[in-house]
Amino acid sequence: MSLPARVATLVVAFLAVVAGGIYVAFGLIGQKPAVEDFRSYAQNGSVDVVMMTTPQTTVTNKPDWVSYFIKNPATGQFDHTTYFEVPPNTTVHMTILGYDGCTPLRNPLWGKVSGTIGNVEDVSYFNKGATTPAEPVQVLNSWADCGVQHTFAIPGLNINVPVASPPTVEENNNLCGTSPCVGTDPSSGGAPHSIVTFAFKTPSTTGTFRWQCFIPCGGGFIDGNGGPMGTPGYMMGQMEVYT
Amino acid sequence: MAADAPSAPAAPVPVRDRRDAMVLLVAWIVLSIIACLLVALVWGPHMPPGRASSSAASQSVDYTVLGTMSAPVIVGVLLYFGWAVVFWRKPKGDDTDAMPLHGNTKIQATWIIGTSAVVLAVFVYGTIRLIGPAGAGSGEGPQPIWKPAGTTTSSLTSWSPGTSNILQVQVIGQQWAWTFRYPQFGGFETTQLVLPVNEPVQFNVTSLDVIHSFWAIQLGVKADANPGLNNIAYTTPQQIGNFEVRCAELCGIWHGSMFTTGQIMSDANFLAWTKTEAVKLADVTKLLPPYALTYDPTTIPAGKIMQQLGLTSAGGGYYNPADPVQP
Repeated sequence: MSLPARVATLVVAFLAVVAGGIYVAFGLIGQKPAVEDFRSYAQNGSVDVVMMTTPQTTVTNKPDWVSYFIKNPATGQFDHTTYFEVPPNTTVHMTILGYDGCTPLRNPLWGKVSGTIGNVEDVSYFNKGATTPAEPVQVLNSWADCGVQHTFAIPGLNINVPVASPPTVEENNNLCGTSPCVGTDPSSGGAPHSIVTFAFKTPSTTGTFRWQCFIPCGGGFIDGNGGPMGTPGYMMGQMEVYT
Repeated sequence: MAADAPSAPAAPVPVRDRRDAMVLLVAWIVLSIIACLLVALVWGPHMPPGRASSSAASQSVDYTVLGTMSAPVIVGVLLYFGWAVVFWRKPKGDDTDAMPLHGNTKIQATWIIGTSAVVLAVFVYGTIRLIGPAGAGSGEGPQPIWKPAGTTTSSLTSWSPGTSNILQVQVIGQQWAWTFRYPQFGGFETTQLVLPVNEPVQFNVTSLDVIHSFWAIQLGVKADANPGLNNIAYTTPQQIGNFEVRCAELCGIWHGSMFTTGQIMSDANFLAWTKTEAVKLADVTKLLPPYALTYDPTTIPAGKIMQQLGLTSAGGGYYNPADPVQP
């Protein structure tokens, strides 16, 4: 083989390896879930966002993993994603339907509501077709009782909201068995769950704010920190603030 | 039969080499003086991490001193390299071998002694500078060798400015946030790091999960946060203002987002802040475990319902026993 041919072969091989590396880095590792766009649904400076926690993710190839879902504002369906877009300087009225069971917080500090309007969340519980009246809550004790299942925290905005869990043994033994938990069937949308509502203001400047759960809920992984805790689309995501 | 190649005559030391050596020496001395002055007087005042704390200031001095010490070495290497490239280049068409080299005891001894002296000087200087500012802002483990002069840990439950009792701040790393606990003010825990100016501080650094590293950049403090271990670092903030806190140990997917902003304020403002925070966080402070230098999340005192559900810790494995994935 002539020298130019050898050089050309080497260059082509090198570029192929680089292209493969870039594809792996950005195409596979950097692949992010779908983004629910709420920007066009904001009215009078506020927008409604509905999320859901589930004890499993049967719509994916990780059925054992706990997960968040977000209600698509266009279709009304719960999509398996944790990425959403909202406009700046807007009050986000968030509702989280908590279908998972309780787990103790590793750090009880995250049982404190912070960063929401009034530093408060309203909590009600659904079980057997009935919903309790919503009660304002400023702190939930995850150690003494069956009080917290997950948290919704945006550290960059100092927002932390513990998501209450169904409080009794009976409820925790009859959690939603499919995901997303929709409909009225007692094994799905009709299963015991909490309803957590709160509001917070998005910043006046645009940007991306990561959010996460502070409960080490990655069962099967060292200290519960792997799996869904470290995978976009499950127990962590991004709030993208754009006009 | 081919004739033997003529043997090379013994090469005399060319006059040009001596002249080059003299020019190089003079140039090195002049350029080194200029470089040292530039590093010490022009660059030195702007050396990171700055002057926000005692450890930061001492690190800036150290960088300046070490930079000044290394300037002649760098100048010497670059000068010799440049000179060789420009003036000792082999002329085109000259295919003769270079002059054979033989050992030179004087040169070898000078080189070994000189480089050893430089390295030893840096070693001695670095060691002395670790002792003076009590570890120079680095984590010293649970039993620090060097402590700030004139400080005590006479009380872990109260603190007043201007006393020898050192301010205790616990730094807790967790995926992916820093929290800070103030045991001398009722043990509240907060996401804000606030320090009083001109008061020595003892950071007790630990982690609730994986290994993190507490890096208060402008304070010149860096200490690994290990689960189950208390890593102590000292500093004394010297300037009112803000500083950046980052995690300096790759700790998971949001490692890059694990940062916050700390604040240095006056004694009066600091005390007012602690009072406000203690009241604001009173409801969650009573839920925190008793203040300890480390925390074991696998021994969480689960309540009655949790025990019935089989939950005894925050270790992550809380699925139904039939679940195929178990810790």
